Amino acid sequence: MQGQNTKMKVSGSGSITHVDQKVPVISFTEFESLIKKEDNKLYVVNFWATWCRPCVMELPEFMEVNRIYRTNPDFKMILVSLDPAKEVKSAVQPFLVKNKIEAQVYLLDDNKRMNQWIPAVDKSWSGSIPATVFYLNGVKVEFKEGKMQKNELIQLINKHLKNK
Amino acid sequence: MITLIQAKENKMENTAVHKGYKIGDTATDFKLKNVDNKIVSLSDYKGAKGYIVIFTCNHCPYAKAYESRIIALNHKYASKGYPVIAINPNDPKVEPQDSFEGMKQRAKEKGFTFPYLFDQGQTIYPQYGATKTPHVFVLQKENGKNIVRYIGAIDDNYSDANDVSHKYVEDAVDALLANKPVLLTSTVAIGCSIKAQKE
Repeated sequence: MQGQNTKMKVSGSGSITHVDQKVPVISFTEFESLIKKEDNKLYVVNFWATWCRPCVMELPEFMEVNRIYRTNPDFKMILVSLDPAKEVKSAVQPFLVKNKIEAQVYLLDDNKRMNQWIPAVDKSWSGSIPATVFYLNGVKVEFKEGKMQKNELIQLINKHLKNK
Repeated sequence: MITLIQAKENKMENTAVHKGYKIGDTATDFKLKNVDNKIVSLSDYKGAKGYIVIFTCNHCPYAKAYESRIIALNHKYASKGYPVIAINPNDPKVEPQDSFEGMKQRAKEKGFTFPYLFDQGQTIYPQYGATKTPHVFVLQKENGKNIVRYIGAIDDNYSDANDVSHKYVEDAVDALLANKPVLLTSTVAIGCSIKAQKE
């Protein structure tokens, strides 16, 4: 995995804004090491791509939700782009700047093993995106294929933060 | 603020319940309009041993990446009794690039040698259980019925046709042609979700 060269700016109110975010290109094994942690943290992971219209449509609501929870040390939102790795600089990074995406973004580049890692994320996943997964202490606690609404996200996040 | 949002009724949808065909089910025939304005049904192919039904579309980068390989599949297998039947399942009101006019253009530009049908009214893809493009269903004719023998991806590398290790659809059709069981009956790959207004 490349280093996370994310430059962060901490504003006066303590909120963190990612600017000029560099997107690490990772394999599925590296992705697993990001979320299979017993750190008592709720990871909300969204699989998306810049070319995916419903994904792009739901991102503003994900960003709203992230703004509500990101100061909570027990919460982390991760966006996993499935754009082609060669487009990380030409498409993905400009998209993040233009759309003010403030969550940590990785690009998952493991095309030849899709038939292994898609079922490893969830047996019911047909491979269509967007898809959203919640992990708590390295264990998957929610999976949703298709768009999610803000209220649904908030309700599930609250449920799992309470159950910790 | 948060409490107010929480108080609102939550619109939970059923999570990941995929209706549609499983391996061994009988697939429905259909009457769908082709890019040449003629109506096409599976039963039109009297001599077919089966079909490679592919839900695909114009706009999706994954579908585009596979267009040449779909043409090659038809070239290889139509004469052996397994023609490709391509169906665009998307609602053009949601994805304008997938209009019937757009399909005609795409079929002409790429020189499609197989029918490219429009699932007008979106009645067929939900019966099959297609969720994305491209999404393949290999059917085998048996006693007048079309039995689902394979569901999934075309091969294991959308981004590079020269670096494919497993040709899932070819392996399935080759097995059927040799009267052998299909070893890998279903696979998954990332694809573009099928566009419908109710989503």
